[in-house]
Amino acid sequence: MLLRKSFLAAVIRHLTGPALAWLFTSVQAADWPQWRGPQRNGISEEKDWLDQWPAAGPKIAWTAKVGLGPSSFVIGGGRAFTLGHADGKDTVFCFEAATGKSLWKHSYAAELGDKFFEGGTTGTPTLAGERLYVLSRWGDAFCFEAASGKIVWNINVQKQTGIRVPDWGFTGAPLVLGRRLILNIGESGVALDPATGAVLWQSADKNAGYSTPLPVARAGRTLVLMGSSQSYLAVNPEDGKEAWRVRWVTEYGVNAADPIVSGDRLFISSGYGKGAGLFRLGTSEPEELWKIRTLRTQLNAAILIDGHLYGVDGDTTSLGALKCLDLASGTEKWAHKDFRTGAVSGADGRLIALSGTGTLLIAPASPAQFKPTASAKILDGKCWTAPVLANGLIYCRTTSGDVAVIDVRKK
Amino acid sequence: MPLNRRSFLRTSALAGAVLSGAPYIRAATPARKLRTALIGSGWWGKNILKEAMASGRCQTVALADVDATALEVAADQVNALSGDTPKIYQDYRELLAREKPDIAIIATPDHWHALNTIAALRAGAHVFVEKPTGHTVNESRAMLKAARESGRVSQIGLHRRIGPHHVSGMNFLKSGAVGEVGMVRLFAHGGGDVEKPAPNETPPAGLDWNLWCGPAPLRPFNKRIHPGGWRNYLDYANGQLGDWGVHWLDQVLWWSGEKYPKRIFCAGGRPVRGPAVLNDKEQTSDAPDHQVATYEFEKFTCVWEHRRFADNNSEKHKIGAYFYGTKGVLHIGWRDGWTFYPAAKSGKIEHGNAQLQEPDGHNLALLWADFMESIDQRRTPIAGIELAHRASVLPLLGMVSWRVGRSIAWDAATEQISGDPEANQLLSRPYRTPWVYPTA
Repeated sequence: MLLRKSFLAAVIRHLTGPALAWLFTSVQAADWPQWRGPQRNGISEEKDWLDQWPAAGPKIAWTAKVGLGPSSFVIGGGRAFTLGHADGKDTVFCFEAATGKSLWKHSYAAELGDKFFEGGTTGTPTLAGERLYVLSRWGDAFCFEAASGKIVWNINVQKQTGIRVPDWGFTGAPLVLGRRLILNIGESGVALDPATGAVLWQSADKNAGYSTPLPVARAGRTLVLMGSSQSYLAVNPEDGKEAWRVRWVTEYGVNAADPIVSGDRLFISSGYGKGAGLFRLGTSEPEELWKIRTLRTQLNAAILIDGHLYGVDGDTTSLGALKCLDLASGTEKWAHKDFRTGAVSGADGRLIALSGTGTLLIAPASPAQFKPTASAKILDGKCWTAPVLANGLIYCRTTSGDVAVIDVRKK
Repeated sequence: MPLNRRSFLRTSALAGAVLSGAPYIRAATPARKLRTALIGSGWWGKNILKEAMASGRCQTVALADVDATALEVAADQVNALSGDTPKIYQDYRELLAREKPDIAIIATPDHWHALNTIAALRAGAHVFVEKPTGHTVNESRAMLKAARESGRVSQIGLHRRIGPHHVSGMNFLKSGAVGEVGMVRLFAHGGGDVEKPAPNETPPAGLDWNLWCGPAPLRPFNKRIHPGGWRNYLDYANGQLGDWGVHWLDQVLWWSGEKYPKRIFCAGGRPVRGPAVLNDKEQTSDAPDHQVATYEFEKFTCVWEHRRFADNNSEKHKIGAYFYGTKGVLHIGWRDGWTFYPAAKSGKIEHGNAQLQEPDGHNLALLWADFMESIDQRRTPIAGIELAHRASVLPLLGMVSWRVGRSIAWDAATEQISGDPEANQLLSRPYRTPWVYPTA
């Protein structure tokens, strides 16, 4: 089921385009082993799940408390992982994915980091085969045995590289790409050896952005895209050399939402009134096609389904709206208001949307309208984390650490 | 610092530049409006500027900030909101000289207020400046003098002078419903813990850190200070007392009609945050994590207290003012509005809801409208510099008492501390070359 790492490394160096996409799905189909899912597009591979539930609400499979922070879940091998903060410590949680039984946890000292928000962990772990990788806001990087929680290696990348921590700490999840573990640290990333944690290359000592490095294979090569403090840029994962950049200045350097690539189109968006842009990828610097201010994704990136973007417009301080836009033109198709800074994921042509105040909505992904087939208030408190559907369960959490796992399995 | 020369060159190159880039399409703006400039283009400055834009009467002609990135962001946001394309300056002096704005909004950190305000008034602008007026008492006096000489309108950002629940709460208080008030307690409590030092860094590209520090000491750059954390560094502000304290002490002056206290004593420290750290490698903040200040007025005693630890729900309110009267206790707060707790068992609790602009919970729109009207009518604005000077001086005197560790007697006629040369020294502070401390 799971590829051996050395084979993975050998394969990935020779893959492009659809073949690379195949690689990312080579884990168990319904798992969600990394930030934004198996294809890194916010869309689950799940089919045939319940998009309706009784008036009384959906079945809750399990609940838990994991501490402060908007960290998301990753699921694989029957395990679910997330992070949270309490009492001066971050904790890595490993649960039995179906039941919520605690399998292991590991805590390490970390600051709360409550600048302009409640603080806590902001990143998400990454599961790659039998290893779990974690990067803390303050640069502590861990490789765990996913099954046991045993530490394989642990370094502080900030201290190791001397690269500054951006205002809200390192937030992008680690990306495992062959023989590289790529982190959004510094102006344009840092690569570690996933086996040992040794630094392979590092970029300039400038503020990182907050997105998760995104591998994109086009025109015979794979580049890694990330939000930096003043740009979205692409680097060669082998040596960290920059391939191109789009200057994109957002307040406080918060380029957090992952870019979206579709064919030769690059979509980027950020909050604080900035907006979104569509670019054409060529052989050199991307060419701007349009810019709009109607989709400003401050935290979570939109998702792209059949040529339409679905995402949250607005900052955590605003009422926010869940919106649908046509990718080609940037035209707004609909807006579902007062959604707050929730987040949306997708599966099998449906939207799975968790509002900023804890209402879970299921609706067909349609540019015509937003018409939920199911809706339930499942959490109290702020929800800044995209719901994660894996193996018939939707994993949801609040920023204060209340977890609710919703059962949408057809019996 | 080697930064100086380079940043000066960069500043010059940037001066007067209009940010280019793909313009966002908007309807054209109508003609003659009040030419408005913002000095200090961060979060709060933009909140004020948004009111100027929303009023429909102002054209944003220029923005100043020592942080080129903040400037670029602000110019883009202004363009999105109003269609204006403001010129951008890293040095406010160049902005004032070249643009001669009708209005200058000043929302820099406290240590810049005096020089910015005095220069803007002398350049002929009406000024909307954030509270507190000055960082030390004599800066505030110099600002007051410059305002008087200029004949321009000076509004200070004490929006709690005009906020609806403050007005209705104050009316309730002045109606006599609370009885004879003998004591007032002001407070702002929040959570917090031990503070670990954060590493110093080279300033990010585009930030003229030397100019950010300006007349104040040049601390090593640390992201805890900028953006957003400078209030906890006494070189640039005066902690909670110099922030929340101004608002609530002003409410006391508003209610009582008294212009000043006779005697002030303030104690406090950092038992929880820990000792302040400042070295080449790292630093912490240095503002007290708690303070208690007693202001002895003619007819009542006022106590200020703040605490940035042990955040819990042991008290009904965490921020605001308690007016203790013979008929009961009136709390005027923030998002919790005002509430009257009657002394009589048969009495009824009365309440006025807050009516605030969210997400930041202020009433800047009302204060801006009053500013516009004051300019039109050449009248004193509701939070004019005369009263704001008196309100701003109170926390600054609290800080003087805290620093010398004894009570001080305030002679309001001469604006001197009686019989205490050491404390009087602290009404001013040395400026860093080449900046010159303004004189009253």
